[in-house]
Amino acid sequence: MTPFAALAPAGLAIPHIDYTALLPELILLGGVLVLIGVSAMTPRRLPTGVYATMTVAIAAAALVASLRLWRDVQNHGAFTTVAHSVDVDGFAVYFLVLVSCILIVAAIIGSGYLRREGIAGCEYYALALISGSGAMLMASANDLIFIFLALEVLSIPLYVMAGFDRRRPTSQEAAIKYFVLGAFSSAVFVYGIALVYGATGSTNLPEIGAFLAHNVITANGVLLAGIALLIVGFSFKVAAVPFHMWTPDVYQGAPTPVTGFMAALAKAGGFAAFLRVFVATFPTLRGDWQPVIWALAALTLVGGAIVALAQRDVKRMLAYSSINHAGFVLIGLQAVTTKGVAASAYYLFAYAFMVLGSFAVVGVVGAKGDRRHDLEAYRGLAARNPVLATVFSVLLLAQAGVPFTTGFFAKFYVIAASVGAHSYALAVVAMASAAIAVFFYLRVVLLMYSTQPADPGDEATTPGPAGGGVATLVRIPVGRLVVQPSIALGLAVSVGVTVVFGVWPQPLIDFTRAATFIFH
Amino acid sequence: MGSLDSYLPIFVLLVLGVLFAALSIGVSRLLGPRRPHAAKGAPYECGIVPTNELPRRFPVRFYLIAMIFVIFDIEIIFLFPWAVIYDQLGRFGLVEVIVFAGAVFVSFIYLVADGALDWGPARRARSFGSEPGRTTESAVRRVGAAGGRAE
Amino acid sequence: MLHFAYLIPLLPLAGFALLSLAGKRIGNPVAGWIATLVVAAAFAMSVVVLVSLFAHAPEQRLFTQHWFTWFRVDRLSVDVGLRIDPLSVTMALFVTGVSALIHLYSIGYMEHDEDFAKFFCYLNLFVFSMLMLVLSSNLLVTFFGWEGVGVCSYLLIAFWFHRPSAASAGKKAMIYNRIGDAGFLVALFLIFERTGSLDYSTVFARLGRISPTDLVAIALLLFLGAVGKSAQIPLFPWLADAMEGPTPVSALIHAATMVTAGVYLMCRINPILHAAPDAAHVVAWVGVVTAFVAATIGCAQTDIKKVLAYSTVSQLGYMFLAAGTGAYVAAIFLMLAHAFYKALLFLSAGSVVHAMDGEQDLKRMGALRAFMPVTAVTFFVGWLSIAGVPPFSGFWAKSDVLENAWAVSPALWAIGAVTAVLTAYYMGREFFLVFMGDPRWQGARPGGEEPRDPGWVMRVPLIVLAACSFLGLFIDLPFHPTWTFLERWLQPVVGASLAVHHYGLAELWGFGLADVAFAVLGIAMAAAVWRAAVNRPRLEPRFLFMAWFIDWSYGRFVARPGALVSSFASSVVEARVIDGAVEGAARLVRGGGERLRRVQTGYVRTYAAVFVGGIVILVAYLVTRAGS
Repeated sequence: MTPFAALAPAGLAIPHIDYTALLPELILLGGVLVLIGVSAMTPRRLPTGVYATMTVAIAAAALVASLRLWRDVQNHGAFTTVAHSVDVDGFAVYFLVLVSCILIVAAIIGSGYLRREGIAGCEYYALALISGSGAMLMASANDLIFIFLALEVLSIPLYVMAGFDRRRPTSQEAAIKYFVLGAFSSAVFVYGIALVYGATGSTNLPEIGAFLAHNVITANGVLLAGIALLIVGFSFKVAAVPFHMWTPDVYQGAPTPVTGFMAALAKAGGFAAFLRVFVATFPTLRGDWQPVIWALAALTLVGGAIVALAQRDVKRMLAYSSINHAGFVLIGLQAVTTKGVAASAYYLFAYAFMVLGSFAVVGVVGAKGDRRHDLEAYRGLAARNPVLATVFSVLLLAQAGVPFTTGFFAKFYVIAASVGAHSYALAVVAMASAAIAVFFYLRVVLLMYSTQPADPGDEATTPGPAGGGVATLVRIPVGRLVVQPSIALGLAVSVGVTVVFGVWPQPLIDFTRAATFIFH
Repeated sequence: MGSLDSYLPIFVLLVLGVLFAALSIGVSRLLGPRRPHAAKGAPYECGIVPTNELPRRFPVRFYLIAMIFVIFDIEIIFLFPWAVIYDQLGRFGLVEVIVFAGAVFVSFIYLVADGALDWGPARRARSFGSEPGRTTESAVRRVGAAGGRAE
Repeated sequence: MLHFAYLIPLLPLAGFALLSLAGKRIGNPVAGWIATLVVAAAFAMSVVVLVSLFAHAPEQRLFTQHWFTWFRVDRLSVDVGLRIDPLSVTMALFVTGVSALIHLYSIGYMEHDEDFAKFFCYLNLFVFSMLMLVLSSNLLVTFFGWEGVGVCSYLLIAFWFHRPSAASAGKKAMIYNRIGDAGFLVALFLIFERTGSLDYSTVFARLGRISPTDLVAIALLLFLGAVGKSAQIPLFPWLADAMEGPTPVSALIHAATMVTAGVYLMCRINPILHAAPDAAHVVAWVGVVTAFVAATIGCAQTDIKKVLAYSTVSQLGYMFLAAGTGAYVAAIFLMLAHAFYKALLFLSAGSVVHAMDGEQDLKRMGALRAFMPVTAVTFFVGWLSIAGVPPFSGFWAKSDVLENAWAVSPALWAIGAVTAVLTAYYMGREFFLVFMGDPRWQGARPGGEEPRDPGWVMRVPLIVLAACSFLGLFIDLPFHPTWTFLERWLQPVVGASLAVHHYGLAELWGFGLADVAFAVLGIAMAAAVWRAAVNRPRLEPRFLFMAWFIDWSYGRFVARPGALVSSFASSVVEARVIDGAVEGAARLVRGGGERLRRVQTGYVRTYAAVFVGGIVILVAYLVTRAGS
């Protein structure tokens, strides 16, 4: 948005800006203005469905623009714009498409939640769109400064969204934690940029790459320290162990659809930039940073899976499971190959829909107030709503990596990339962690199909009339669970993508394989 | 590590900064007299010490105003260099700055419509319903209770 | 006619689709009949394919049927399709045949179950997965079938999931299988990495590109998968627990078909095993040790189905012994014979359990031959067959295995021989305790009906299987080269492998008489001890009853520390840091008065500290790598 910063009074060169190449981002940001403009101009609060419809339309327009861009890039080749600080290559446009899809699904799912909770207003949608534009910019950014700006545009709305349910203190707590630690990691990230700039004399990724390719820095301590700090900054965003501490608290506290959105979007945006910076820019130094990513990936895989086993809160469990997923995406990064990048990109696509759908189900089960997230709340879900239970089973099994879902191929692809890069040990760690992970997913699935009556203690806070109390207490959670049409639609999309591309993965594989970097 | 030499001043500055902070805290702790007093322990607020608890939460509108101010402040910061090199930027600059100002303007309209500038009690466009008889104590209790199990 | 082969797996799939969509509406018993019919039709198709295959010359009996390319990434192209060769057709034939019989039996066995349709839905899905496993032309699709049968096994073990033991048994089966599956998957990636393909034909053609050590690694990793699936040491405890499932499931999945998938895999990859003799030795030794250990355990079990479960483990050990000694034909022969007699034994045991209203304790049975004559006879046939009494099929199969073991190492043969005695003994023990002696159940069933033979739906499979157990001998007879049908039939796939031909007639007679002697010895021992007695604590030591404490020690030394690690990790992250900080902060703020559930500052700081720790380690690591 702000090329002004680059301007100098003397010899001023106005960068050429190809606005059509920036169309998806511009559509999102313009859409935000329309949204809040409409919200301000209408005297009475519009129903949340109106905003949701507008958001879907805006995101769909961005999707169309992204797909047109994809066609252009595939037909005429990749290019850069805004003084080489924005890449328009297959990789970037792939993520533009993905982010547009995430926004559409998140808006659909979010509207059902907001209606149930009685939260009016356009803010959820506006913030989601801003955050989405940030993720898009992160995927396209070709300059460290630009990545930082995009990172903030991505993150700040997410902080607010985490605290969106103002009446629930856990939500506010999540927001504060996310914000404080996020600010901390941003500072570290900026410091990393500064050190890299100091060592290479540029913040532009191709220039850095070219510099490193043509010069051998004998004393590269500063550069490596900078790289370390960049790794930390990205690791925080994508929730890699040991920079994951915020994840469970924030995922648990944030309103449930926001959690799903945050997980899908922050991972997509964060990893997009992570992959570009390291695979495309620093491949010459891979001997130095690859072991670090190896260790991070192994820690993340194992840590996420093991700690998830001990969770009793489903949102928290899914938070640790998302950490485990981050480990898988890191495997693709660790390979430092085209195949690894494609595998990671595929994984992020598959993950986005699985996690959006999963948290949508969690939101439904959480019931009004968004509080019933204990494992016990899932006992006998199949009896209360068989379709919902089936849908959640599919999503959880997909996350576990069961064949004929996108989850299987995602795991298969990254592990194949890892083996292809001769990281056998990491592949084994990944498979072991996947085997562990099966259990906590299965535990939920089993509980849903269990017919044993729920623990009456769960409902003890709302005692019925004296006398027939116990009988009514046991019956309360057995009541039919209503899924709002919009959430049902969002779930249908999530499950549809998960299953269709699981059975027929070729289109998505070809898509990821065409999603290549510009400089390769 | 020759190239690190140029970072020596930064390092020295870092060490000095840490030393200064540590020294100030340490010295004041060592030398400062400690005579606790109720008035000293009271929370510092602008104006008079409150004689009784406020019946409702303290309005946060001050902060809202401050934040709105920051937004316009930033707009000015952007506008200033733009004005300086307006000639060189030409139409490109004009379009960009109009877009920017437009974004800020729409946000401003949104803020006004949302009641961010409404002074006086209530009549906000949206109310999350404050309960009567709320005090800081009760707020803390409420937050505590809602954050976990009911006591 | 060969191109109709695609119907073999698709018929059960269609049955599964129909039952999963409309199973409840179709209801009991029509759903069962539909499921049975599709599997019977698949069996008929297998026969058709078998006959068409006969029409070709032996070395031309290999056809691949390409369905579609599932996905293609770089060099890796995964084609879903069938590989029709003597081995896969043999497997398809016996899988569909035994399945059809057990489906039929289940119609009677499950008649009172409310989830009748769901049961058959799972069974059809299982048959489909199993057929994909054996018929697939591609290792990855085989792996899917492998996973699919695992999932079905899990679902069916935990079919009565309201019993906690059933649910936990299902979970245990899953755990052990996952360990094996991880090995399988690593092997797949290795094979792909080295040969650039996962297609059987291509992989076998390119084995030369793989270094000998890698070949051993691949063979052992695949064997790890087989160990998990086929319940060999050290991954065998799940099979005994799997008996929590309905008895037809035990018969079909945990005796006749699924657990033999590991043996099938070993035979399928025989070129790899052939090229990695070290791995083959491991296979043989693991097999024979498992056979022995499981047989000893079987001697001390008191649950009618658990004896059979350990017996299955033991017999599978024999099959691996055969595969490891290069006697693939013997392995397949034993697999077929075992499928017949073990399914027979399980279904007979199921009839007993059914008639006794769910009683499974051997010590509370007895004298049932008078009440259930048909079942007693069929069980008797099964016993003689598994014990290795000629002329039943078990004798011929086991003789083949032992003769080949001798050719490789007399030690293998000796352990196998001891196991043969034990086999005859523990099955005899079971037979005597169930069908002979005094009725020990009358006191426990006041006023109950007397147990009696099941209805014809359950009786027909018993009789057919009993006949098969006997007629199985004609599959492969060593007397004359023209009678070795199975060996000649499989020769294009596994090569000439039996050692029988190296022996003279006298040696063959010697082996045969020895085998008969083992069987007779075991039966005599069983008769001597258990004809009259019920409890012989010294012959049922706790060590054996507890299965050498293997399962127990896994719980003690693996599962519990695992749970500890998990809860420790969780408690370090959560309980200690978070709750501790919360309580501390709460005390600070409220002076111990009101309890604050959550205060942010306390632990955000902790998170930040961990964060900084991570930064320090990372930066320190990278900076120490800096060149100076």
